Amino acid sequence: MADRIVVTSLGILSALGLGKEAHLHALTRGHAGLQHPQFLKTFHAPDCLIGEVRMSDEELAISLNLPGGNNGYTRTTLLALFAMRELLQGVDESLLKDDSFAFINANTVGGMCSVENMYFDFISNTPEGDFLKYIDTLDCAESTQNVAKYFGLKPMMATISTACSSSANALILGARMIQQGVVERAICGGCDAMSRFTVNGFLSLKNVAKNPCKPFDQNRMGLNLGEGAGYLMLERETDAKKRGAEILAYFTGYANTNDAYHPTAPSPDGAGAYRTMFQALEKANLQPETIGYINAHGTATINNDAAEGKAIENLFGTQAPYFSSTKPFTGHTLAAAGSIEAIFSIWAMQEGKVFPNLNFENQMEELQIKPAAQLISNVAVNHVLSNSFGFGGNNVSLVFSKV
Amino acid sequence: MMKPVYILSSSAISPQHSFEPENFLHPVKSTDDGKLFVVDPDYRQFINPVAIRRMSRLIKMGIAAGMNALKLAGLEKPDAIITGTGLGSMTDMEHFLKDMINMNEEALNPTFFIQSTYNSVNGWIAVQSKCTSYNQTYVNRGFSLELSLLDAQLLLNEATEREVALVGCFDELTDEYFIVKNKIGYWKKQLPQSRHLLKESNTVGTIAGEGTSFFTLSNKAENSVCILHGVKMIQSPTSAEISANISTFLQQHHVALQDIDLIITGMNGDTNFQPLYQAALEHTQPHTTIAAFKHLSGEYPTASGFALWLSAQLFSTQTIPEEIIYKRGATTDIRKILIINHYILNTASLMLLSN
Amino acid sequence: MEDLKLKLKQQIIESLNLQGMEPKDIDDNAALFGEGLGLDSIDSLELMVLLERNYGIKIEDAREGRKVLSSVQSMAEYIQLHQKA
Repeated sequence: MADRIVVTSLGILSALGLGKEAHLHALTRGHAGLQHPQFLKTFHAPDCLIGEVRMSDEELAISLNLPGGNNGYTRTTLLALFAMRELLQGVDESLLKDDSFAFINANTVGGMCSVENMYFDFISNTPEGDFLKYIDTLDCAESTQNVAKYFGLKPMMATISTACSSSANALILGARMIQQGVVERAICGGCDAMSRFTVNGFLSLKNVAKNPCKPFDQNRMGLNLGEGAGYLMLERETDAKKRGAEILAYFTGYANTNDAYHPTAPSPDGAGAYRTMFQALEKANLQPETIGYINAHGTATINNDAAEGKAIENLFGTQAPYFSSTKPFTGHTLAAAGSIEAIFSIWAMQEGKVFPNLNFENQMEELQIKPAAQLISNVAVNHVLSNSFGFGGNNVSLVFSKV
Repeated sequence: MMKPVYILSSSAISPQHSFEPENFLHPVKSTDDGKLFVVDPDYRQFINPVAIRRMSRLIKMGIAAGMNALKLAGLEKPDAIITGTGLGSMTDMEHFLKDMINMNEEALNPTFFIQSTYNSVNGWIAVQSKCTSYNQTYVNRGFSLELSLLDAQLLLNEATEREVALVGCFDELTDEYFIVKNKIGYWKKQLPQSRHLLKESNTVGTIAGEGTSFFTLSNKAENSVCILHGVKMIQSPTSAEISANISTFLQQHHVALQDIDLIITGMNGDTNFQPLYQAALEHTQPHTTIAAFKHLSGEYPTASGFALWLSAQLFSTQTIPEEIIYKRGATTDIRKILIINHYILNTASLMLLSN
Repeated sequence: MEDLKLKLKQQIIESLNLQGMEPKDIDDNAALFGEGLGLDSIDSLELMVLLERNYGIKIEDAREGRKVLSSVQSMAEYIQLHQKA
């Protein structure tokens, strides 16, 4: 039997805090992390709620023993460093030798959070200034390179950018690279920091809610944005057992498919979402009824929830498993959503809990199913499905199984 | 060790006449302002007329090259679409960002935002080809194409039946990008005639370019033009180690340096990187021809795509154009090509191809 | 109203880059979305940007917007009703 892929370490930072304890505390008590942006200076601050990490760039830098001020580190990289540092605790250096391991990162707009404040300096006649420290930070790989450099690592590196499905895709690539013997282990995930570019981009699409979002609700009015970083370490089960590592979950299935319908809207009947979930279950060799919990993409946009809700109903029937979107807690963390929510899914299994779909009041008229509005405890969740559906029709579903 | 993959077709939009390869280098396009912009084909032939009206340059370039590669392979729909870009659509990003600042974050055009997302080309190709299968975009500087090729190789090795992956890369040049990178010494202070770039290798900097290259790759050999054995990505390459990197890479594929008929290098006239290439080429045999391409494509994160496209052409034509020859070797047949390319942000890559 | 509709048609053609089209090609009451011009959800958002930039009218809800944007006639009527002086 092929050696299974397992998760042996993780690191997570979001509006809910850093690490497992802070997150579980919030997730089980229904304490959402949304606020009017404090650190992001945008004209829209009074009108939008964001899952902002509760630390300024300065505070993040100091905690990482980096110089303050304009130090060349974007918020994107700082968030990634925080989550990565947590993951690396307890991971022996010897396991991360050169390119026997891969670091597969993901984000949507790179260092735009810094660049957007300096862009006119970039293109002006001014040849010099602090802005030069950020002049190579716009692209998505800047955080990947800077994280590896900060920790003195020289892994095989990759950066994926497929919008909201990015870090879920990173996990898939990591698993496949291990299975094909390209690397022995992989640290996979994503990071995204809030920027005015992103906030205004989504506002231009008119799918941002002024109030806390209501996934799968008949009266949903759009999403809330968020920021954060999440990373998971993957390796073969035999390697993990040989070194006595704690196995957190099995990464049993995945699928990446494309809606091939429209640049931003999903296929309205949920065909794309259905296909992805179906193939992920197929890959995991599991029947739908074995899934104990679905961590939905559930952005609370009109289109996503209609498509995803329909797809869940079609695939699982009207007796669908518990499902919820945790985006009312963290906001939509974009490229980091896949990995952050994969971590939530794993904790759901470990804790035997289904985290609530906050703000749910009215069932969608076109669906016969509805999300879990309250925390559910003492549930046997043996297999969990986590969805991430992005712009460009990029759909990913991941399946994790209990140890 | 993964099995090699087979290139069925290739298509490139570049600063040279590459889209219709029979016109390639007829004439050679050259510039003296340090910027090599692509020769645009008729995009309307490849893109839905309703959709094209909103599209920016890079999106059109990528879709056209991708759809053309499919057409040349006689395919309507690939089994995967995997692309790489270092910078994405700069035009859309610049437009949205400046509007956002100038208009105090009000009344902004969603089209620019959507098209600035790095995977928008992939999304469009999927819509046009109705391809609902695996779809991935890598944004990793000088490795963006290489990662796409690696992913395709993984995919084609995982497949149990014949599959074809559409793999490509795209990057664009804008005037603003040129200004920005000029501040950190990317470009030559004295801009040469691009065609003579390599004669200026004793000064720092290079010239800017752009382009897109797409390939159909299969796990079966029928109808293929050449074999891609593998790709090697080297982080922080050094002159001291590059020779050993090349040696190890070739050994893994059971090939010796003397078996290589043609080495296509990413020499770009920047004196900072000449030592790397000198070290890389130190042990090459006299019969091996050494070529260069960045005087034709300019420098950009996914320029190795132009070299890969060029290789695919050369296996078919079996003639090395004078324009790309850096050092002529004795060999007449082109059976094995090694591509050695660097990118300024601390990366180098190797690709091994054979007929 | 006629002047407004003509101007609106010119602005629509420019904003959506409807190459090769002229105002006379767009009927006042023809459906802009669905069949005909083949405009999609992104175009409707772009038209809302047009209303905001040129007439100072901000539509918050995309679904509300689609109703207003159903034809040049409905757009012109909405503008007359809501335009900031």
